[in-house]
Amino acid sequence: MTGRLALILRRVVQAIPILLAIVIINFLLLKLAPGDAADVLAGEAGSATPEYMAELRAKFGLDQPVPLQLAQYVGRVLMLDFGYSFRHEMPVIDLILARLGPTLILMVTTIVIAVGSGVLLGLLAATGLNTWRDNLISILALVSYATPLFWVGLMLIVVFSINLGWFPTSGMEEVAAFHTGWDRVWDIAHHLVLPAVTLSLFYLALYTRLMRASMLEQAGMDYVVTARAKGLSERRITFRHVLRNALLPVVTMAGVQVSSLIGGSVIVETVFGWPGLGQLAFESLFARDLNLLMGIFLLSAMLVLVVNLAVDILYTFLDPRIEAR
Amino acid sequence: MGRHSRILAALGLSLGLVAAHPAPGALAQTRGGTLVMVTVPEPPTLASYLSTSGPIGQVVAKVYEGLIDVGPGFEIKPSLAESWSMSDDGLSITFKLRQGVTWHDGKPFTSADVQYGIMNVLREVHPRGGATLKVVESVETPDDHTAVLKLSEPAPYLMVSLNGYESPITAKHLFEGTDPRNNPTANAPIGTGPFKFVEWQKGQYVRLDRNDDYWQEGKPYLDRVVVRFIADASTRTAAIESGEVHYGAFGSIPNIDVPRLADMPEIEVTTKGYEYVAPMMQLQFNTTKAPFDNALVRKAIATAVDRQFVIDNVWFGFGKPATGPIHSAFEPTGLYTTEGVTDFINVDDRIAKANAMLDEAGLARGADGIRFSMIHDLTPYGEEWRRFGEYVKQVLAELGIAAELRYEDVPTWLKRVYTDYDYEMSSNWLYGLPDPVLGVHRQYHSNQIRPGTVFVNGTKWSSPETDALMDAARIENDPAKRAEIYHEFQRKVVDATPIIFMHELEFTTVHNTKVKNAVMGPLGVYHSFADVWLEE
Repeated sequence: MTGRLALILRRVVQAIPILLAIVIINFLLLKLAPGDAADVLAGEAGSATPEYMAELRAKFGLDQPVPLQLAQYVGRVLMLDFGYSFRHEMPVIDLILARLGPTLILMVTTIVIAVGSGVLLGLLAATGLNTWRDNLISILALVSYATPLFWVGLMLIVVFSINLGWFPTSGMEEVAAFHTGWDRVWDIAHHLVLPAVTLSLFYLALYTRLMRASMLEQAGMDYVVTARAKGLSERRITFRHVLRNALLPVVTMAGVQVSSLIGGSVIVETVFGWPGLGQLAFESLFARDLNLLMGIFLLSAMLVLVVNLAVDILYTFLDPRIEAR
Repeated sequence: MGRHSRILAALGLSLGLVAAHPAPGALAQTRGGTLVMVTVPEPPTLASYLSTSGPIGQVVAKVYEGLIDVGPGFEIKPSLAESWSMSDDGLSITFKLRQGVTWHDGKPFTSADVQYGIMNVLREVHPRGGATLKVVESVETPDDHTAVLKLSEPAPYLMVSLNGYESPITAKHLFEGTDPRNNPTANAPIGTGPFKFVEWQKGQYVRLDRNDDYWQEGKPYLDRVVVRFIADASTRTAAIESGEVHYGAFGSIPNIDVPRLADMPEIEVTTKGYEYVAPMMQLQFNTTKAPFDNALVRKAIATAVDRQFVIDNVWFGFGKPATGPIHSAFEPTGLYTTEGVTDFINVDDRIAKANAMLDEAGLARGADGIRFSMIHDLTPYGEEWRRFGEYVKQVLAELGIAAELRYEDVPTWLKRVYTDYDYEMSSNWLYGLPDPVLGVHRQYHSNQIRPGTVFVNGTKWSSPETDALMDAARIENDPAKRAEIYHEFQRKVVDATPIIFMHELEFTTVHNTKVKNAVMGPLGVYHSFADVWLEE
């Protein structure tokens, strides 16, 4: 246990220079993009006087030299102040937090469905190697992995929203009704079905393939032969020995994916009008809303660090031979 | 028999009239219901006094009102002002304000709001206000319900621009002593309009509820307006098809889906309601770069491009060939003309004529048949603009001009055209707005060559004659004389062709047939929706 604690402490200390480097590199990269937020705002307005443009730039702090802008930004971030989005006239942190909930709802549901059914399908395929079951699952996985996400989403909308009328086309809530309490929970769940299924289909294929391969690899190991020689039942060998070992690569993969969780999925959010962070980041890039974009980047960088640490610790539980050092 | 047929004829006539002009009030309006409309993209803020960005206006025009309203045919109608009169010299306009109007927070609306709103908010921070309202030297308030605008020079374009979309009147008690650029109402507007702002779930919707204390008796008819934001075009189409969304304007339903939707019995499509913005599509040159500094070269390309072909094949038939710098929506006001204006629309043997002009300009073809190479920048607003660029590239190839297409993102392109002037020819589109002073002068006047300011004179072309014409038209209050000036202006500009006028863009408003009074004049979706009602 002390090993794990030391690991956490060391990682936190290591994280600080990494985050600082990320902030600086992101800032400089974004500054390379031509045009600025004032150009975009004026462009959308369709017209603007030069005085108005100059005022905007002064208000955004864009009239200052770049090194000074960077220094000011880093200074604020160190005080845990993510800054202000002039485009939205709102603090960045409020904007991000408002989108965090919907993003987590969608991504957690997706990961649970994808990992859960992926592991199950991979298991089924591996235990029935080269039978019709294996072939069917493998073909399904291949097809769903190869189909473009936006197309799957639109087809689901055409079939289930327009033709059958079972699910709403888009959004997170029924806007004409404004439900409250449990009705609202049910309403959100209803809206969640299509986007979560669309996104899951893609990841599910990944986990199915990974789980199947991993199971097959483990099944050929010496320890399985030993277990069988001991006279253990196939069921016990599969679940007690092979499964646990086979899960390691899946956990690694899931860890990587959870890290990208905060980024959301631009495509699925766009197609289903889901108010997630992916869309927010996408829009703010084209609007040159740097404060907001940097805030999202910083938050996702932090999440990557935290999740990586969590995965490393999870390994030690799954496989006691791996030590936390 | 004869008598009967006369009666029947009279009946038929009156029925026909009713069908042709469904006057508001002719049908029995029902109260209640929620109108769901879709707006794209999601507006950055709801501060229409701070930005003229289209999506902002679509939402907030329901919350804020102006002194006047714009009716069909650009008729100036009362709104917050009940009546008005102009002094003979045109230097003072007296507005009688409506009594008993309250802000959504319950405070009374008075002439002090008009004074503060115009002088301290719109004139200071509105992107066009600085130019439009520059002539307003002061606003006098002899009593609570009278506001007198004192002008430095006559301004024939001023009245029409005092509508709720262009010049929203804001509450003095919320703005006084603050910087209007950082006012909390930017995300939670408080106005006098038919709908009150309730909440904005970013990324999802804005909710506006009925203002029960609205000054127009019995209006609005709707209980609620919800504006939804859906980023994907196909999903928006699906949402209007499934009935989840009732209303979408400004191309929020993509043109490619419009003909199919128009055939559906529960959906209606109209191209009306955009006369106020009068959008025009153009190809503009950097007239300081050879060979485009030669008017003959510009005119050769203007001759070669087939406007009707572009409308039919790229813009799905939505559009009307443009004849010059002034939009044909100005025909009722007399400002628009085609008389004596070089005609690029009805031309035979376009390519042969254009080639002859280029030969005359001394641009001989090389051994490979190429006269010169150039880069054609495309307006980064989507697919149709790309298709248009591809068409232009083909036409140019027939003229012996090798064109390379460049498609960048919006900020990069704006900077290239309006700050760096680092381009040769670019497609573009601009609003004509309800008066040439507001929408047209900015592209041609020499004092509008302003690096870093977007959608002004990006061609760097100007001439002393056209400058003088625009200066005269700006202060001419006599409509007939003013029309004469603009006719001459159109002839001069088209003769120089710093810009090829391609076509007048037609946007579509797609709405469910349940929605009645969906478009109530030139402002279209920028209208207050006080008259909109839902059947059932």
